[in-house]
Amino acid sequence: MPARLRALFRFQESGLLLVILALGALLTAFAGTVRTPVFERAADGTRTRVYTTDAAGERVPLTIEKNKFLNAQNLAQLAKDTSFIAIMAVGMALVIISGGIDLTVGSIYALASVAGALVLRHFGAEGPAATSPLLGIFLGTGTCLGVATLCGLASGSLIVALRVHPFIITLGGMAIYRGIAFVITEGQSIGSFPAAFREFVRFEGGDGLGVVPLATMIVVLFVGWIFLSRLAAGRRIYAIGGNELAARFSGIRVERVKLGVYVICGLCAGIAALLSIGYYGAATSGDGQGYELNVIAAAVVGGASLNGGRGSALGVVLGALIIQMISSGIVILGINQNYSQIIIGSVVIFAVVLDNLNSWLAKRRLTAAA
Amino acid sequence: MPFLEFRQITKRFPGVLALDGVSLTVERGTCHALIGENGAGKSTLGKILAGVYTADSGQIFIGNHPVAPTTPLAARELGIAMVHQELAFCPNLSVAENLCLGDLPRRRGFIDRSALRARARALLAAVGADIDPDLPIGTLSTGREQLVQIAAAVGTGAQIIVMDEPTSSLSAAETTDLFRLVRELKARGLTLIYVSHRLEELFALCDQITVLRDGRHIATEAIASTTPARVVTQMIGRELRAHTPAHLTRELGPVRLSATALTSPGHFTNIPLSVRAGEIVGLAGIVGAGRSEVVQALFGLDPAATGEVRVNDRPLALGSIDQALAAGLGLVPEDRKRQGLVLGLNCRENTALAALPLLTRFGFVRRAAEATLTARYATRLRVKTPSMEAITAGLSGGNQQKIALAKWLARDCDVLLIDEPTRGVDVGAKAEIYQLLDELACEGKALLVVSSELPELIGLCRRILVMRQGALAGELPHAAFSEAALMQLMAGLPAAA
Repeated sequence: MPARLRALFRFQESGLLLVILALGALLTAFAGTVRTPVFERAADGTRTRVYTTDAAGERVPLTIEKNKFLNAQNLAQLAKDTSFIAIMAVGMALVIISGGIDLTVGSIYALASVAGALVLRHFGAEGPAATSPLLGIFLGTGTCLGVATLCGLASGSLIVALRVHPFIITLGGMAIYRGIAFVITEGQSIGSFPAAFREFVRFEGGDGLGVVPLATMIVVLFVGWIFLSRLAAGRRIYAIGGNELAARFSGIRVERVKLGVYVICGLCAGIAALLSIGYYGAATSGDGQGYELNVIAAAVVGGASLNGGRGSALGVVLGALIIQMISSGIVILGINQNYSQIIIGSVVIFAVVLDNLNSWLAKRRLTAAA
Repeated sequence: MPFLEFRQITKRFPGVLALDGVSLTVERGTCHALIGENGAGKSTLGKILAGVYTADSGQIFIGNHPVAPTTPLAARELGIAMVHQELAFCPNLSVAENLCLGDLPRRRGFIDRSALRARARALLAAVGADIDPDLPIGTLSTGREQLVQIAAAVGTGAQIIVMDEPTSSLSAAETTDLFRLVRELKARGLTLIYVSHRLEELFALCDQITVLRDGRHIATEAIASTTPARVVTQMIGRELRAHTPAHLTRELGPVRLSATALTSPGHFTNIPLSVRAGEIVGLAGIVGAGRSEVVQALFGLDPAATGEVRVNDRPLALGSIDQALAAGLGLVPEDRKRQGLVLGLNCRENTALAALPLLTRFGFVRRAAEATLTARYATRLRVKTPSMEAITAGLSGGNQQKIALAKWLARDCDVLLIDEPTRGVDVGAKAEIYQLLDELACEGKALLVVSSELPELIGLCRRILVMRQGALAGELPHAAFSEAALMQLMAGLPAAA
């Protein structure tokens, strides 16, 4: 085998790419087809149906036959759904590589959403400060990201200061943050934002591709990749996850780094929350329920080891894509929705088994090479 | 007919061939010593017999029947038990519960406490151990915990007991008790495999001796027909020769590290020490004397430590690694797997770990500088690795230790605190590490070396400080070095005339 090809195979994420390609091929093959109406985009951006006349001379909507999975709308939808999870998964990757876990991401997502939404509504068309939408967008964004970062800071500080396992602290935080969201909204949905904000986030390329979430995800992925692979801070995260005591003995300020990863994880949840309120135009305290599991699943499927010390930004983003492909595959294949949790749960366990098998093989290789 | 026979046992670990076709036979009712330097494979052989490891190839016979214990439980069913160096019990449970853990006496589904206690007393009495069965195991000393292990082994009807370095952390009284018990077990017809590197106790206790070196079988002889000097020669494969390190003849520089009244409650009190540039100072003492605690306190790892410490004539605040690093201290810790290295990272990353602040620009690791620096020290220490990108876990103990040292050389410290520089390192790498430490001293570094191996300190140091029970027991200049003098200070005996 040429060296270049071998290097590609040794490349950690190539297995994930293969899984994605295989999943895509399977979904395309078994998805079947659907007839969808054809739209035409006018110069002012409005979309109108295209009509034609059938054999009987009647005017009917023009439709074309498309593969249920492999069509532009579905892929655009997949890209958008993946973006939200992937952005949070990059933050989660940092936490998991450092040897921790963060169960609060779904709740931070909800709290940051409603906090941002309350500010945005104040400046929205029906709010008391409707005259300055740009200021509103600025403040709303700041509030959403700021609240999320503060939540991460709070969890991280408690984990570091109390020396309690992060599972416990974030389990508590998960209930507390969502509870705060519920209290400040009184369970109401918060909507009616400045129009410009929604238009910006919902800005679409062709065929309904949400450009902003996708671009944000790519930026987060790139920053996460650089952070983990090129920055000293990233190296410290791997060292702490690999052997915390040795990291401390090497002069690494373990507490500071740990605090940092929870802050970043919170911030990533805030970025996803900001995109979601722009995209859906409303927020409730019930948003993002169960996201922590999807995000952790994405990270684990993407090769982040819950023992710490292993994982990559690209891996977890691909992991998020796999999780979303499976979710949407369940819909496309017409499988009863109720099975989706069972399937995703099984995939996570399968991924961990595969990972263990892989480490075992690697150890065997090391032994054989000796 | 031999009772126990090993035939062509081979075992590989990542990075090292631990056993290479070892064959030997053991007679029933004898105490058979396995001796060799660190890394010779003696513990590995014992652990294969006890089912802790499985041999890659080769066979074991007991009374001419082939056996292949693949787990400790399977070995126990074959009548083989092992007494481990490290904790082998659940420390939170009581002695009685641990002894009966496999088969707790029950009455109507509930644990029968009185039966449990009675059975534990009987097991302990069988080995003459006077231990309260209700104490949590975690509160016992290592020696008493070993007695419980032996009681458990004898209680399950073991015919063969493997003892792995049983005296390594025992007091003198505990050692005497252990020896008495070993002789008694032997008299009862049990067979003992006694793994150790302490020659004197083997000659006092064992009937046969097998020497292993670098995973190979070198010799099996009756104790009566060999001598300690002969065994030493077999262990190291060459005659011992005195090697004088070059740094001893150099002029000493200014005082790099000094401490007065260094104290940590419960660990050590009132320790004075000083190390000059170009000097290697040894720190001796038995395990528990407070040696490692002293170097860890100097490195800022002990928040309770007090005392006046000066590095390069500037005061150093204790209790902060940051301050210690900034002052120019480096610590190569005693347990490289737990404290020294991140085994999952590769050699380059481990070597650069302590030097990261020096290799960083705007938060980015300068990759070219990192590669150059780490490669330079890996070459200087002759680290044997396929590449600097290889995962550190795959290296042999000696090469891992070199990486743990290289990490602090890359940081360019003025003062190196080195705790057990050659623990678990093979003979060849040992010599290379000694050579390196000598070179570092010649370059003007100040080295404080903690070691349990007295010949190592004697061969390396210019002065040796001896600690005993948390206090400084004495100091020996180079001219007064001898194992006897060191041991007397370590044991608190008056110096021989």
